[in-house]
Amino acid sequence: MAAVAVGRVGKRPEGLVDLLAEVGESALEAIGRKPIDLLVVGTMAAGPLAAVESVVPASAERLGLDPALGWRVEAASASGAAAFQAAAFELLAGRAERALVLAGEKMTGHTTAEVTRILARSLHPSEQAAGATMPALASLVAQRYLDRYGADPASFDAVTVQFRQSARGNPNAQFPTPVSREEVVRSRMVAAPLHLLHCAAISDGAAAVVLERGDGPAAVLGLGQGFDAFALVDRTELASFRATRLAAQRAYEMARITRKEVDFAELHDAFAPFALIDLEDVGICGGGEAGRWFLDGSTAPEGKFPVNPSGGILGRGHPVGASGLLAIAEVARQLRGEAGPLALPDRPAVGLAHSIGGLASHNFVTLLGALAGREP
Amino acid sequence: MTVAPSFRVLRCASCHVHFLPRPGLCPKCGSRSVRPELISPAGRVLAATELHGPPAEGAAPHRIALVELSGGVRVLAVAPGRLPALGETVEVAAVGDHVELRSEPETSG
Ligand SMILES: [Zn+2]
Repeated sequence: MAAVAVGRVGKRPEGLVDLLAEVGESALEAIGRKPIDLLVVGTMAAGPLAAVESVVPASAERLGLDPALGWRVEAASASGAAAFQAAAFELLAGRAERALVLAGEKMTGHTTAEVTRILARSLHPSEQAAGATMPALASLVAQRYLDRYGADPASFDAVTVQFRQSARGNPNAQFPTPVSREEVVRSRMVAAPLHLLHCAAISDGAAAVVLERGDGPAAVLGLGQGFDAFALVDRTELASFRATRLAAQRAYEMARITRKEVDFAELHDAFAPFALIDLEDVGICGGGEAGRWFLDGSTAPEGKFPVNPSGGILGRGHPVGASGLLAIAEVARQLRGEAGPLALPDRPAVGLAHSIGGLASHNFVTLLGALAGREP
Repeated sequence: MTVAPSFRVLRCASCHVHFLPRPGLCPKCGSRSVRPELISPAGRVLAATELHGPPAEGAAPHRIALVELSGGVRVLAVAPGRLPALGETVEVAAVGDHVELRSEPETSG
């Protein structure tokens, strides 16, 4: 990976293409404007949310690029991770030498009700017909998790408290202020057991990464994707995400490493209980054990397996199409020693970036290594 | 308690799995050979939630329940009356394009 750029996440006055161009410019600047022959842009709902389409030619024009190949990639809230993996596979296939991956979303131009409706379009039609929204289905998953493992609901609060604490050091975070457990519990109920501070906010933001063929710092070790039944009611397992388990298994296989070799992770925490489920699904701990890890500090930056040192989605903000690439960028910055105030006490060698698409119907796991891995 | 079969599902002729009516193939084995069947509308609540926020606009909160029917068929149902308890036995019925909990379970037999 040749360069990484992360934009400020929050309420931004700019449009989507402006946000993409800003991070793209930083990334190109960092590589001395070497030629780009592949441009991949990830965004979930550019049309409905930002009133723009054709984001690939729009970004290319803004950045003065003349790529040989260009794709827009959509995988709901995992669009940024999907864009990264698509670019990496193109480089692995030898179809390009140097790729610019952009991912972004512009969401704050709409009311919460409108954004909720637009995001719910990534749910199964039968779920939309029942008036279900992302938080509604996430709350059902959270209840199944509590019921299945007899888990402590306080572990959900611990997730928010930890990530908001970490976000304090993140200059790009939307929520750089810590919250107490009492503030989480006192925040308004969205869908029991989920309070407002257990749920992702509405955000604008973007990230950019330059990928090159050949080894370098923050090399791609493994790429994995997995699917589950589109509708929640058709899934075998409700307290765990099959799509993550498959994505992780495939990424570990490609990297030829085991979960024991991973030093830290950026996990998809659009809802606090998902961070617990994710940690179990990527194999770091067993089913029902993640709550204890968050409650006893094992997942804090100085813990035995740091999770979301950037603050994650709950601390950083959730520009949906960008979040998957933001997670990859934050993992890369740790591995490259560019994390600044967010740097982990022990410089990690292998990091995992995880991203959930929709209500975990299509998820992604990306493994990156500090040193030479396989190409790219 | 026995309840007359009244909830319409599809049953796969190849793998015999029951599933909710939908366009497409059997979700388990991909077979196209499926036929409608009526099963008991009674089921057990696996999870239920009251949604404070969209799509409920100011008015009463929107409630939905995840219900497991006989044969392992699960449905996501609107709960118009009240929020059912976890593990509670309820009855469901198709209403237009979605499924609803019946306000008062009708028992027979
Ligand atoms: Zn079948």
